[in-house]
Amino acid sequence: MSYDIKRSISLYSYQDEYYDGKLDLEGCLRETAKTGATGVELLAEQMIKRFPLPIEDEEFRADWFAKLDKYGLTPSCYDAFLENRIYSNRTLSLGEQINMMCRDLRLASLLGFPVLRTLVSTPMDVIEGSLEYAAKVNVKIGLEVHAPFSLNSSWADGYMEMITRTGTKHFGFIPDMGIFCKNVPDVLRDKARRQGAKEECLKIVDDAYAARVAKGFVKIKYDLDLGKANMEYRMANGMKEMMEAVEKAGGGPADMMYAGTSFTYSWSDPQDLIDNIDYIFHTHAKFYNVHEDYVETAVAIPEVVAAYKKAGYKGFLSSEYEGGEHLRDVGVDSIEQCRRHQEALRRAIEG
Amino acid sequence: MAARQIFNPDGFKNIVEDGKATGFQFEFKAQYYRGFTLSILHNISVNVDGEDFAREDICISVHGETFTLDQALTVVDSDYRWEFGEYAAILVKKDGGLAPGKHHIKAVQLIVPSYMPFPTEAVCETDFVIE
Repeated sequence: MSYDIKRSISLYSYQDEYYDGKLDLEGCLRETAKTGATGVELLAEQMIKRFPLPIEDEEFRADWFAKLDKYGLTPSCYDAFLENRIYSNRTLSLGEQINMMCRDLRLASLLGFPVLRTLVSTPMDVIEGSLEYAAKVNVKIGLEVHAPFSLNSSWADGYMEMITRTGTKHFGFIPDMGIFCKNVPDVLRDKARRQGAKEECLKIVDDAYAARVAKGFVKIKYDLDLGKANMEYRMANGMKEMMEAVEKAGGGPADMMYAGTSFTYSWSDPQDLIDNIDYIFHTHAKFYNVHEDYVETAVAIPEVVAAYKKAGYKGFLSSEYEGGEHLRDVGVDSIEQCRRHQEALRRAIEG
Repeated sequence: MAARQIFNPDGFKNIVEDGKATGFQFEFKAQYYRGFTLSILHNISVNVDGEDFAREDICISVHGETFTLDQALTVVDSDYRWEFGEYAAILVKKDGGLAPGKHHIKAVQLIVPSYMPFPTEAVCETDFVIE
């Protein structure tokens, strides 16, 4: 199958430099262009102050498009947050949530984005209720498939049923490459060490992860109570036994942190991408630490890109750096990490 | 490279009204990866040198408006978001303020995004000096 795999960067990746005031929105666009990426993904609530008001402003949008033009970038994906519990005493009604989704679809379209990322917490009837508007503004709603969720699961089946029943062309999946982790990222392990973790405990956790990869992860179920779904998933994947083993080995807070966090990564078979390719129109190329030799610590970049090629994927792989949160005690260099990751993607795509 | 800065080193001071110290204030950045409405900030707890302060004695100030923590729960206005990378000022009532000299603060941000299975609890600690 012929494929057309393009590279993008999610500005989420530059959050530490933005937080420190070293990069502003334009600085992030400039850095993105420097890596050779041609696409840009935006979290409006991260880098556009007074959200969502400026996006309504024609002058702001003219400036946005002028900057994209200046750096040769194309909008790839707009990351929305359906804040359906914006009030602490209640969840927004279905109608209110659909209105919020339609607002976000409109904002995405105003900034030129063809795809809107929505989160796994988005109720299915909110998505279904927004499809007509999505078609009208021609923005596709992509449900992020983020660890511990996976394609080819009972969780995904519900959405597939909705796609089939409605015949929509404006809803599908955005896989997050964190679902293709062969092991726990080294940056997390090193942080645990700095906090005093014991090698014996780290090994228990790493061995348990390897065992889950070998055996296959028990998949998470669809439940709007995400805390409950998550706990069930963790228990079904042996968390209790593993935590007990770590405790027995004298594990302290750093070991417990490492053990608990190991359940936020998962491994899916890249074949899942091939099976679902008709419903995939954007990808979060999550990564944690790309080494100097362009090898990523945990995400199976070569295998995943090979699957995309085989499937004939036409869309962006959008770098999403998430290793920084484990380096904040020693310092983060997202710019270098994104450069390396883009090069790793380029080699896998062109190689 | 350096560790992330959370507190504004120049933001620690006593609040003086009519020549009398009625409390103290400090500034820090939200430990979340985007800006948000104050309505999802469910709590800020403050402990200085081992002393806890009551929730009703703590206020948050962003872009020139000050809210009690209970009031913050209903703030959804775009002009009063806690923007990513920006300091918010936290005002704490304490008769006489803090004594001049060295102190240690532990403040915890409880941020509750709608989509997270568990809230984000960010423990922020530092030493500081009151002139």
